[in-house]
Amino acid sequence: MKTFHIRFYENRKIYFGISIGIMLVGLIFNIIFGTQLDVQFKGGAMIKYSYTGDVEPNKIEQAVESAIKRDVSVATNMNVKSADSDKTQNNVTLTFAGNEALSVDDQKTLLSTLQSLYPKANFKLNSSNSVDPTMGTSFFQKCIVAVIITFLLLDIYVAFRFRKIGGSAAGFFGIVALLHDVVMVYFTFIIAGIPLNDNFIAVVLTILGYSLNDTIVIYDRIRENRRLMGLKAGYAALVNTSINQTLTRSIYTAACTFVSITTVYVVGLVYNLPSVTSFALPMMVGIVTGCYSSICIAGPLYVMWENHKAKKLAAANASKGGEKAVEKPAGKAEELPAQKPQTSTSSKSAAPKAKTTGGQKKKSKSKKKKH
Amino acid sequence: MKRAKKPVFFIVALLILFFTYASIFGIKGKNGDNTVTYIKGVNDIRWGIDIHGGVEATFAPATSTKPTNAQMDAAESIIEQRLVLENITDYELYKDYNHSRIIVRFPWKTDEKDFDPEKSIEELAATAQVTFREGMEYTTETTGSDGEPIYKTPKGKTASTIILQGSDIVKAEPQITTNPTTGTSTYVVTLKLSSDGAKKFAEATKRLKDQIISIWMDDTMISWPKVNQVITNGECEIEGGSKGFTAAEASSLANKINAGALPFKLTVTNSNTISPTLGQSSLRAMLVAGIIAFSLVALFMLIVFRLPGFVAIISLLGQIALSFAAVSGFFPFVNSFTLTLPGIAGIILSIGMGVDANIITATRIKEELWMGKTLDSAITKGDDNSFSAIFDGNITVIIVAVILMLVFGPQNILSFMFGPSTTGSIYSFGYTLLIGIVGNFVFGVVTTRLMTRSLSAFSFARKKWLYGGPSESREALMNGGSEA
Repeated sequence: MKTFHIRFYENRKIYFGISIGIMLVGLIFNIIFGTQLDVQFKGGAMIKYSYTGDVEPNKIEQAVESAIKRDVSVATNMNVKSADSDKTQNNVTLTFAGNEALSVDDQKTLLSTLQSLYPKANFKLNSSNSVDPTMGTSFFQKCIVAVIITFLLLDIYVAFRFRKIGGSAAGFFGIVALLHDVVMVYFTFIIAGIPLNDNFIAVVLTILGYSLNDTIVIYDRIRENRRLMGLKAGYAALVNTSINQTLTRSIYTAACTFVSITTVYVVGLVYNLPSVTSFALPMMVGIVTGCYSSICIAGPLYVMWENHKAKKLAAANASKGGEKAVEKPAGKAEELPAQKPQTSTSSKSAAPKAKTTGGQKKKSKSKKKKH
Repeated sequence: MKRAKKPVFFIVALLILFFTYASIFGIKGKNGDNTVTYIKGVNDIRWGIDIHGGVEATFAPATSTKPTNAQMDAAESIIEQRLVLENITDYELYKDYNHSRIIVRFPWKTDEKDFDPEKSIEELAATAQVTFREGMEYTTETTGSDGEPIYKTPKGKTASTIILQGSDIVKAEPQITTNPTTGTSTYVVTLKLSSDGAKKFAEATKRLKDQIISIWMDDTMISWPKVNQVITNGECEIEGGSKGFTAAEASSLANKINAGALPFKLTVTNSNTISPTLGQSSLRAMLVAGIIAFSLVALFMLIVFRLPGFVAIISLLGQIALSFAAVSGFFPFVNSFTLTLPGIAGIILSIGMGVDANIITATRIKEELWMGKTLDSAITKGDDNSFSAIFDGNITVIIVAVILMLVFGPQNILSFMFGPSTTGSIYSFGYTLLIGIVGNFVFGVVTTRLMTRSLSAFSFARKKWLYGGPSESREALMNGGSEA
C-alpha cells in the first residue's frame, strides 16, 4: 500500500502562505465590491416575472419608477431552461433599491404597469421577496448568534474528547481551521457576487461540521499514535505520521462529497436555479478548504503550539537546574527514529510495540507529574 | 474475528433493498376503488413552498401602541379563520407577542390555477367585519376540513338586518361558569357591549326573544345562539348548543368576536411568494442531480475499494432510503416533514459524506492487509480502529445539524431573543443532514460490518486483493513465506 511521506509540519510556511495569499485576494475583492446582503438580511424587495417575446429593461425601469416612485434595477434572463419540458422562458428580475419592503398594493401596481407597457408579453409572477428592514436585521443577528453557539459547542466537544492530547489546544486549532474555512466561504460569496442570505449561514454551519469532522479523524489518529509511539516521539513526527496515514481517507471523502455537491451545482446551473447554485458553489469551495485546512493548517499549528510549550517548559527546567533537559520532546534529531516503526511497511515491528504501550503510558504519566 | 454466518449478507442486503423499495414507492393496497396507503413513499412527501409554490407572509398590527396579547390572539384568529375558509389546511401560523407579529406560511393548493398571491395576502390581512344579525338564513353550505359544516353568505332578513357591528363590542371573553345546584362546569363566552351597542342589543333581544341572532365574521356564520332573555345592561353570555362549548371552542369564538373589535388594521411587513411551476422545475432538476451524484459515488467506491465498496453501495442505499422514510412519514411515529430544496441538497450532500464511515473502515482494513495481517484479523482490526474516528466525526456534524434545526425551526432556542419564525427552508436541510448522518452511522457501521464479515466467509471473497490488499504474488514476495 502506498504510504505518503509528506512533511506537513516542515512545509507549513508554504501552506500558511497560500491561505494568506488567497485571503488577501478575497479581501481586495471585498474592499472593491463591498459586502452585499440579501433582502432577507437587510430588508428590501425583489420580484421576478416570466414573460414571452422581447422587452427593454430601460423602459421597464422608467415605467416602474414613475408608477411606484422608487428606484429599481431591472435585469432580464433569456431562454431559461425549464425541467418540465423543452420550452424555455424569459425572466425579468426587478430589484428595488433601499431596504424598505414593497407593499401588496405596490406589487399589484407593478404588475399592471408591466402589463400596460407590454400587453403581449404575458407577464407572470415567478417569485417575490419583500422583507421589512427590522425583521431582516433581526434574522441576520439570529444567524450570527447561531454560528457563535456552534463554534462554542464544537470547541467544548473537541476539548472534552481529546483531553489526552491537549484537548483545549487541539480544539482551539481546530477552531482556527474552521475560521479559515468560514473566511474562505465568505470570500466565495463576495467573489462570485452572491448576496449573503440564509444559504450562507447553512453553508457556513455545514462546513463547520464537515471541516471539524476532517480534523477530528486526524486528531483521532494522533491520539492513537501517541499511544503507539510513546511520549518520546516529537510532535512533528507524530502529527506528520498521523496526517499521512489519514490522508487517503481525507481525500477520498472530500472527493465523494465534492462530486455530490458539484453535481447539484452543475444541474442548478443548467436549469438556472439561483437558490441552488448560490448554495452549492460556496459549499464546493468549503469542502476543498475544509479538507485543506484540517491537514495543512490545524495539524502544523498544533505542533507549533506544543513545541512552543515544550520549549518554555525546558527553559524553565534548565533555569531550575536542568536535570530534565534531556527529555525535550521536540528535538529534530529524535523525529526520524521515532517515525520509523509507524511508517515502515514491514509488518512485524508495529505489533510488539503496540503491546508495550500500557507500560509506556504509565511511565509517561509519572514523568509528567515530576514536571 | 467472529465471522458472521454466510446467509447474513443476503438477509441484510435483501432487507435494505426491500426498505429502499418501500421507502420510494410506499406500500399501497386496493380497498374497492380506493387506494389505501399503508406505508408512505416518496410521492407522499410534503414539499416545501419553494417546491410546491406558495406564500409566506408576516403581518403586523398597524398601531402605534403595542397590542395586547388578547388583541394578538384575535388578529391571529382572523387569519386562521380565513385560511380554513379558503380550504387551506396545510398552513403554518405563528404569533410573536414580544415583537407583535404573526407569520403565516402555506403552499398552493394542488389544483390551484388562479395564481394570485397578492390577492391571497390582501384577503388574509383585510380588516375583519364581525356582525350580529337577525335569524340565520344563508346561501351556501360547505364542509370544512374538520368535517364541520360552514355556512356562508347571509341572505334574506339575515342579510338586511344588522343588529351589532364590531365597533359595538368592547370585548368577548371565554369563561367557566359553575351551576350552583348541579355543580357542573360549563364554558361560555361573555360579551361586553358599548353603551351604544347595549341600547341596540336591548331593543333586538326584546324583539327577537326565543329566536336566533347569528354572529358572522366577514361572510361566514361563526355562531347562532338563541335569545333566552332580554339583555339590557350590555353584558351577556353565549352558551354552547346542546353539547355545550369545549374550552377551545369558547376561546376560539371569543377571539373571532374580538377580531371585529380590533382597533387596528393588519399590515404586511414581509412577503415571499413562489409560483408552482418554478418549484416543480427545481424539483426535477434536484432529482436528476441526486441520481447522478449517487451513481458517481457508487462508481468511485466500487473502483477504489472493490468488495468493501460494493458493500458500501448497499449501505448507502439504506441510508438514502432512511432519508426518504424520515421525510415521507414512513414510520408511524415520525411525522411527515416538509421537504425543501436545501433539504434535498442535504440528502445529496449526505450521499457524499455518507460513505465516510465506509471509507475510514475500508482504508483501515486495507492498511492492516498491507501490514501483512490475515484477512480476518485485518477486518477485525480495521473495524475496531475506525470506530472512534467515525463516532467523534459524526457527533460534530450532528451538533451542527441540531443547531440548524433549533435556529431555523419554528420553536427555536433563540425564540426568547428573536421570536418564533416560520420553518425556513434551512430547517429542512438541518433535518435531512441529521438523518443522513444518523443513517451513515447505522448503515455505514452496523450493516456494512455485518455484510463484510459475512461475505468474507465465502471462498471466492477470501482474496486480499478484493479488499484493496496486495495481490497473492506480491504478498508472497513481501512476506518471504514467513506468514502462516
